[in-house]
Amino acid sequence: MNLPAPTLARRTPLVLAALVATTIVGFALVSRLVTRLKANEKQIAFHAFEAGMAAYKGNDPDRALDDFRAALSYDRDNPTYQLSLARALRDTGRLDEAEAYLVHLWEGSPQDSTINLALARLAARRHSVDDALRYYHSAIYGLWPADPDRNRRQTRFELIDFLLQQKAFAQAQAELIGLTEVLPPEAAAHLEVAARFRQAGDLRAALGQYELALRFDQKNSAGWKGAGDAAFQLGHYSSATKYLRKAIELSPEDDTAHQQLATAQLVLKTDPFLRRISDAERNRRLVSAFRLAGDRLIACAAQTKIDLPDVSGRSSRPGSSATVTGNTLPDLWLRWNAAHGSLRKLSSASNADMPDTLMDLVSQIEQQTVQQCGQPTGADLALLLIARDRDGVDQ
Amino acid sequence: MSQPPQPLSTETATNRIRLTEVLVGRLARLTFNTNLAEDRFFLILSVFIGLFSGLAVVCFRVAIDWSRIALMGPLPHPSAIRIIGAPSAVGLLVAVLVVHVFPEVRGSGVNQTKAALYIFNGYIPFKNAIGKFLCSSLAIGSGQSLGPEDPSLQIGASLASALGRRLELSREKLRLLAPVGAAAGLAAAFNAPISAVLFVIEEVIGRWSAGILGSVVLSAISSVVVMRWFLGADALFRVPVTAFTHPGELIAYAVLGIAGAFAAVAFSKSIGFFRPRLRAMPRSTQYLQPAIAGFFIGLIGWFGAPQVMGAGYDFIDQAMHDQFGWKFLAILAGLKILATTLSFVSGTPGGMFAPTLFIGAMMGGAVGGIERHFFPLLTVSTGTYALVGMGVLFAAFLRAPMTSVFMVLEVSGNYSIVVPVIVANTVAYVLSRTLQPVPIFDVLTRQDGLVLPSLEEQREEEILRVEDAMKPPVTLILNGAGSVGDAALRTRELREHSFLVQMAPSGWSVIQRELLDRMMKEGKGELTLSSVLPIERLPYLYPDLPLDAALRCVNQSDIIPVVNRADARVLEGIVTREDVLSRYQADSVAD
Repeated sequence: MNLPAPTLARRTPLVLAALVATTIVGFALVSRLVTRLKANEKQIAFHAFEAGMAAYKGNDPDRALDDFRAALSYDRDNPTYQLSLARALRDTGRLDEAEAYLVHLWEGSPQDSTINLALARLAARRHSVDDALRYYHSAIYGLWPADPDRNRRQTRFELIDFLLQQKAFAQAQAELIGLTEVLPPEAAAHLEVAARFRQAGDLRAALGQYELALRFDQKNSAGWKGAGDAAFQLGHYSSATKYLRKAIELSPEDDTAHQQLATAQLVLKTDPFLRRISDAERNRRLVSAFRLAGDRLIACAAQTKIDLPDVSGRSSRPGSSATVTGNTLPDLWLRWNAAHGSLRKLSSASNADMPDTLMDLVSQIEQQTVQQCGQPTGADLALLLIARDRDGVDQ
Repeated sequence: MSQPPQPLSTETATNRIRLTEVLVGRLARLTFNTNLAEDRFFLILSVFIGLFSGLAVVCFRVAIDWSRIALMGPLPHPSAIRIIGAPSAVGLLVAVLVVHVFPEVRGSGVNQTKAALYIFNGYIPFKNAIGKFLCSSLAIGSGQSLGPEDPSLQIGASLASALGRRLELSREKLRLLAPVGAAAGLAAAFNAPISAVLFVIEEVIGRWSAGILGSVVLSAISSVVVMRWFLGADALFRVPVTAFTHPGELIAYAVLGIAGAFAAVAFSKSIGFFRPRLRAMPRSTQYLQPAIAGFFIGLIGWFGAPQVMGAGYDFIDQAMHDQFGWKFLAILAGLKILATTLSFVSGTPGGMFAPTLFIGAMMGGAVGGIERHFFPLLTVSTGTYALVGMGVLFAAFLRAPMTSVFMVLEVSGNYSIVVPVIVANTVAYVLSRTLQPVPIFDVLTRQDGLVLPSLEEQREEEILRVEDAMKPPVTLILNGAGSVGDAALRTRELREHSFLVQMAPSGWSVIQRELLDRMMKEGKGELTLSSVLPIERLPYLYPDLPLDAALRCVNQSDIIPVVNRADARVLEGIVTREDVLSRYQADSVAD
């Protein structure tokens, strides 16, 4: 073999020692150099980042992007800069690049709630429910740098809002139930939850949250009004009246509450099936409701120019005919007329089903006239609500 | 039941101490002492070359960053004075340095390293490393459209060469040190050790050599470790999530390959055309050429495309994330070809690696954007095309097809796009070779008056094999166990002069007619052939061996048997010296 030189063979340990020593010195020098450069670059990066934040807050996301990119070009590993750039990218619709930054950050610390939240928002922007749920949950159960309880609550609110937006009501209700367990003892939080329960269609839970909110703050008019409205929607008119009165007491200028209270009171006065009223009163309410429905039918027919037949079943217009089993206005008119004759037998003990039969007809008239002539007001509205609640009970 | 330990006798203790001393002594000699074989020492040295090159490349990167901050300012939107003035002024300074102090640091450095390996016995002056470091860092930092990879390669090679000379290594090892250092430098600059090793094999060494592979790999890995130690392990780009889903999309990638080939040929031809013409201009203009190039690049930057200035990695990253429309990407690709041609042909020291990747990424993104515009059903993002485009231009322009594939895989860390990358790169490589037969590095080398071997030439070279010169087996094969008399009788009517003898249990020999006749005259006809033939067996060949192998043994006998690889007793044919020479003559006439 072509030996390098006998001298090298003799010097090998010395050469190796010299190489090791040179390497150590080299590492030390380069380390110092790189440290200086990095310190300098970090400073530049910080200035660029601050400029970027100012631009971002000043609603100039493109300028902010440039500055954040500059900051990152000097301090590539800085997670704050990466996160800020990712947020700016997300806000300017550059979702792919934002995702690349965030995924990179996430790989470094998958338990970081801030990163998970940013990824969740990105998934939400893409309407990707599964990814959003995954990242929102990771954010909720992950590590927050400060005030974890409040941040977790806020994140769950955000998740719920996203689910409501996506019309994923069942998932939203599940999240809301989870949220109620960790709510602080303050009215505002319960009110927020109650509002979302209402959006999710769970009025009963919403009412419960309003009532809880009112325990913490009796003077909260929004709470009283929300409770009144929820009770009203649930058909609990008595409670609704109570809550709405209180709401009006605290906010007398609230017209909606006034109208809702008036309607609730009218329902309570009109409803023949209300408990704790005498038979005579029930019959009086039935007759009154029956007549009101008849009047509404005639008025609606006139409004829509529908010709109502005479009591023999023949229309005054040639060619028109009606069947007495149908639900058109002429049919209902014939049925109403047919029932009108039996009103006298209402108090008879042998006609136990008659109140229900009459109220069924009233309900059908009110519902049909809503379709033909629009939303009623006053007593007709009360009758419509009574009809709706009876249907709900039946179902 | 265990016995209690008994005290050692004095003699036993002394023997044990001696034995220990001998073992320790041997171990010490084995490890540190003078018995380190050169090969082992070379491997250890490769690690140190990797470490030193890594340190040098880290310093080089720091120098580029510092000069960029100092010259272009730290903010993302430099002023006109900086953006036009910096590359022009630095161009002037670099020109003075190149003309007066470092004349050998022009261009990329790949050719110089290759020339050092094949012409100058591995000698690269250390001055080149200093010059390359200084001039390239200034040029790239000022915004000249060049990259840091090829200079890093030359710096690594130069360091390795200097170290080898200092250690008084043999000429053979000294020659090998240049590619070892080159791989280390490139690996550290590109943060991709596999690609660096392959590139050095494809472009610097120019042939597959198992002997040096270990050293090259060791140095590349060591340098990458050092680079990551100081500058972090992040890849050059944040690669978007990519996947290859539908085989029909391979057509779209093939189109990308075609576009890449044309872009590469345009780039290559423009450099090949302008470089010798500018170099032929009067010496006084050499001072101005880099400055003028810098001025025009500054103008490009000022008029809306600052992305083409410098190495441009940040913008490749953005292109991979769909940050630019396809029209702007196409413009950027064209402007980068122009800017890099200006920088490179003006003699400004700097590399073509980064510009190639930049052009490839922009062109890939543009092609992807156009394809998606006309075929919205294509599922792959524009960013994926940008990623594949980098490999395409690498294959078509630098003519390093293997490196191009591994580079994309190494940079992206995503093996799901390997099929599109291979398809696009192959199309680009084949088409580029058809349109521009001579690779860019060979063009540059020939312009410098040198002819160096290349792996591409080697791949295309027709290798003559033994089977090309082989004749069918002779009709008569004698048996070693047969008698001389019988052999003389059987060969009497034949015209051949020599006869193959199959020996037992294996092997071949040859006997001449004169010997048979003489033995018969001496009355030795009863003897067996094996007893009168020399013990040494004839060398034999296999049909698939290169014909060079036959040349080494045709002087030992006038007939050489060519046998089957599965059974050496089965004769496939014979070759003679005349057969071999006439085959070579026929080949040279055909050439």
